[in-house]
This record gives sequence, structure tokens and C-alpha cells, in this order.
Amino acid sequence: MEVSLWQKCLVRLEHDLPEQQFNTWIRPLHAVETTDSLRLLAPNQFVLDWVRKHHFDTISRTLHDLGPDAVTEVQLDIGSSNRAAEPLQATAASVAPRASSAEQPAPVKYKSNLNPDFTFDSFVGGKSNQLARAASMQVGENPGGAYNPLFIYGGVGLGKTHLMHAVGNLILERNPAARVIYLHSERFVADMVKGLQHNAINEFKRFYRTVDALLIDDIQFFAGKERSQEEFFHTFNALLEGQQQVILTCDRYPKEVQGLEERLKSRFGWGLTAAIEPAELETRVAILMNKASQNNIELPDDVAFFIAKRIQSNIRELEGALRRVMASARFTGSPITLEFTKEALRDLLALQDKLVTIDNIQKVVAEYYKIRVADLLSPRRSRTITRPRQVAMALAKELTTHSLPEIGDAFGGRDHTTVLHACRKVVELKESDARINEDYSNLLRTLTT
Amino acid sequence: MKHPQLPLGLALKDSARFESFFTGRNQEAVQSLQSAAAGRGETLIYIAGPAGTGKTHLLQAACHLAAEHHRTTGYLPLQELLNLSVEILQGLEQVDLVCLDDAQALAGQGNWERGLFDLFNRLRDSGSTLLVAAAQRPDLAGFELPDLVSRLGWGVTYALKPLADDEVLAALLYRARGRGLELPEETASFLLKRIPRDLPSVFNLLDRLDEASMIEQRRLTIPFVKSVLDQEA
Repeated sequence: MEVSLWQKCLVRLEHDLPEQQFNTWIRPLHAVETTDSLRLLAPNQFVLDWVRKHHFDTISRTLHDLGPDAVTEVQLDIGSSNRAAEPLQATAASVAPRASSAEQPAPVKYKSNLNPDFTFDSFVGGKSNQLARAASMQVGENPGGAYNPLFIYGGVGLGKTHLMHAVGNLILERNPAARVIYLHSERFVADMVKGLQHNAINEFKRFYRTVDALLIDDIQFFAGKERSQEEFFHTFNALLEGQQQVILTCDRYPKEVQGLEERLKSRFGWGLTAAIEPAELETRVAILMNKASQNNIELPDDVAFFIAKRIQSNIRELEGALRRVMASARFTGSPITLEFTKEALRDLLALQDKLVTIDNIQKVVAEYYKIRVADLLSPRRSRTITRPRQVAMALAKELTTHSLPEIGDAFGGRDHTTVLHACRKVVELKESDARINEDYSNLLRTLTT
Repeated sequence: MKHPQLPLGLALKDSARFESFFTGRNQEAVQSLQSAAAGRGETLIYIAGPAGTGKTHLLQAACHLAAEHHRTTGYLPLQELLNLSVEILQGLEQVDLVCLDDAQALAGQGNWERGLFDLFNRLRDSGSTLLVAAAQRPDLAGFELPDLVSRLGWGVTYALKPLADDEVLAALLYRARGRGLELPEETASFLLKRIPRDLPSVFNLLDRLDEASMIEQRRLTIPFVKSVLDQEA
């Protein structure tokens, strides 16, 4: 098979650009090549703008170097190779009318609920949250602009709420008069119910429609609450219409939230959708260091690495562990050394050592892929079995201290080279196949929580 | 506006004080709870431990101490409240110190888990202190809502250590002395070889012995306590 011009270009760019830049901005692009043109599809407006501003020249130059006559035109669009780009503009068919100034009653009191500690400065960036962080900053600097709504999604405890507050704080910093409201989705529901009960639903509507930025956390909890969704739908439309910023967080991709109306799901995707992935080791270490220094404590490297390696599930639990270590150090007056930390966290970590055995990995992986453990150990080589088996082997290598031959033995007496191959394959698949990448992260989290 | 007290008939045991708690190897947890109760330390502490490790005593002691610092308190034994509506969690964010006992009782109860999750968020907004006690650590207590588990794990978690045999003995002597009872050590050792050695059982027996010794005007000798035990059996 002939290697396409774009693939050659990718190889060159991967070499030329820093890895993080390449992975964040260039890798997500899908190429549609014809004989004389190349259309690059960015997953959203933000990536598109960023690539246009920072990388477009490099891409054009590289393409020209590789095949001076091959491509006459390079075009950047939003979309994916499977579907045409969807229009970004909203059809405001069912937009509820904004409250007119005539019916404006006494001024409503605004309480932003923003936590002043959650800023961009205190947010530790890394590969896992680079896009979400950059997008959030853009929104903070230019609320109500192109990225509306901003939809941040990711598992529990990865920093969605922090980012959301950071945007709100930045908006306020730049415009102290801005009315920024942060609330949890349950509070929105409770307020609405209260409005209905007290015949004050119009006040409810007016309140939420006259803010400059509405930040709603964990919108997955709207699931199954039809009346709240209806109300939110209208509020949402009114805000977008008025170029007021909406920021939402969710524990999963909008389309995957069960019990949420289709029209809401589709609207959530109109602006910019950014994922936060579980933080990688280096970021977890940086988070610990940052948190410790906020508490005026100098955390030795080996201690930070020890905690970060042991607690991979989410940032809240990482912080919980650090809090415990700091509390113990205060109590005993001891310096925070590795030995001290191990002792302080003994009750917290005991389980993790116990959980992560090859047996348990096999059990969890089999359950996840809905196959039997026996299949993982069997000689069967169909794709439906092979992939989970490779994933399980890679997890065993990452999470246990067993040798490769031991891992091979535990998987039906396979050779250690099979294990090695599986580990390499999984690394490769994680880069190229988003689903495998997600499976792997989910499993890692399950096994280490 | 602060609620002076919860509209729930949940009286605290007057005797559940930090001074009457036998700390054993739990000094750090106890001190941390004391600071939190006074409004000086952590804002979220989760204590985990099997029955009889003193969780209820500690939470109630925290409420008493908080009250001495003019803080409003709410103590909720969730096991007993499960048959009520989850709405009893409403408004708790206006209380300075919220203590949730037997939190594992909510595990698997969808609307209660959601209610607790929601309460947690409101408490963070209001800056109140939350103390939670459960049989197991957050990730092991059986909660199904991952959002709740991660939030409960955000604070400082202590696993309460059960008292060793010699500590149970010391706790028994300490409690007896606190009540003005003369309990010879050999009698205490004798008792502990014959009854369940969790502190609630031990202290309950002490209450009964106290009563029996008053009625019969006898001292707590081995023959006497043996006769009380035999009668109960």
C-alpha cells in the first residue's frame, strides 16, 4: 500500500515538533486527500483555530518539501473523516424570549459561588488536560465568543470543577462587574422545583437568563429529570442567543449520557467539547508538589513519586492522601520522608497492594469485555479474545512487579515474548485507537481505585 | 441565618466527650477531630473502623466540643434515619459542623447517595465542617456513586485502630475510675476473659455491675461479678 502524503508529513512533524504539541494538535487531525488537494479536519473549532495560528505554516511547508507538486491546496475544516462538518450555528427555533426590561423587578442578588482558590495558576497542566486547559483559558479571556458552550468532560476527580471555577475567576478578574454564577446541576434542579412550588418560576427564569456566564457542574445529574431539562434547554438557548457564556461539565461525552434529551445532547456539542483524561504520573507528581507548596511544605521527590504511583484513580484521592501525610507530619512533628509517608498511608494503601494481582486483573478485564477468564487463558486467537488478553497482559506488566515469564505463565503458559509483544501492541493501539485508550484508562482506574 | 439546632430528635449522649474517650493508638485521629470540631483544622475527616472502635462516641464528642466553641452542630445516625425521607439532609449546609454516623448504611441506596453527594457539594460551598464515620474506607464502603466516593476520599481519612487487649483493660479501668467505681484490676481481667471485648459490650456490663453493686451493696470482687454474670446467663 502506498503511504499517503499526509502520513509522510505526520512522520516528519512528529520528529520536528515536541511530542506534547504533536499529540495534542496534529494527531487529532483527520486528512481527506484527493489527487491535488488535502483537507484537514479538526475535531472542533478550538483545535482548528490553534492549528491555523500555530502550525499551519509548518504543515504547508512540510507538505511542500515532501511533494512540491502533489498538493496545490491545503484546507482546514471542522469535522471527522466519517462525516461532513456539522454547522456550528444554532437554529434558535425554540428560544424562549428574554425577559424584557419592562418586567425587570428589583435587582436580583448574585452570588457567584466561585472558589477563589481554583485558578489557572493553581491548576497543574499536563498532557491529560492540555486541550481542556487551553480552551478554558480562551473562554475566560473571551467569554460568549466562539466557544459557547464550553463542555468539559472526564471521569470523577480529574479537575473539571477546578477548570470551570478558573474560567469563572478569570472572567471576573477581567471584568469585576460580570455576573458569573457557578452551581451544581442538583442546585439548578432544586431551585427550579422551589420556583415551581412558590409560583416563582418566572423569577427563576429571569435570574438564570440575565447572568453573563452560567457554569453548571455535573450535568449528568439532569438525566431523567425532564422538567429540569426542559427549563435548562430554554435557559441554555436564551444564553447562547444573548452571547452569554455557558460552561458545563459532565462525567462523560454528551452523546453518551443516558436519559438526556437528544436536543440537549446535540446543543452541548455546538461549542467546544474538551476531555480531561486521567493525569499521567508526572502530572500527578506535579499536582502533589503544587498542593504541598500551597501549604508551605516541601515535598521530597521520592515521596511525591511514591504517592503518585500508588494513587492513580483521581486527583481528589491523591490530595486526600497528601492531606493525611501532612496531617500526620503536623501531629508527630516529623519531617516527611519516604518511610514516614509509607507508615502514614499504610491503611490507605493496604488495599491497593492486595487488589492488583494478575488474577484480579484477569477477572476485571474479563468482566469489562464480557468474556470469561478461561477465554483469556485459552489458546483462542480470535480478535474478541486477543485484544482483551493483550490489554490484561499490559496491565499486569504495569501494575504488578511480576516478571514477563511469570505473566506469560499466568496467561495459560504463554511465552514471555508474547507478553512483550502484547505490551508493545497495547502502547501502539492506545495511540491510534481512542476506544482502546479509553478501555485501558477505565481498567487502570478500576484496578487502582 | 444559622439554625440553632436540627429539628430532629437526635439527642447526644452527654457522656460522649473527648475526655471520656480512651484514645489508645488513635491519638492522631482524635486530635484531628478535636481541631476540626473547634473549627480550626480540616473541613472533612472520614473515620473508618469496625463496630466498637468508638466512632459514634467520637462524632458525638465532636458535637459537644463544637457547641462549646459556639458552633452549631448536627449529628445524624444514618442507619436510624434511612426510613425517613432523604430531604432531612436539606438545609444542613447552614450548620457549622455536620456529623454523619454509619455512612455505610447509605451504600447502594441511590437517592441517599445522591442526597449525600449533593449535601457534600453544598457543605463545601458553605464552608462547614463534615465528619463522616463508616465501617469501611470510602472506596470500600460499598457506595455506588463514584462522584461520592471520590469526594469522601478528598479529606483526611483515618482507620480507627481497635484497642489491643491491654488497652481494653486500661479503658475499662479508666471508665470505672471516671464513674467513681472501685474496680480491682484482677476483677477487670477476669471480666475480659468472659465477655465480648468490644468497648460497647464492656461498658454496658460495667453499667450493670455498677447498678448491681449499689443494690446489693457489694464491692466488685471476682465472686460478685461472677455471680452477676451467672445470673445474666
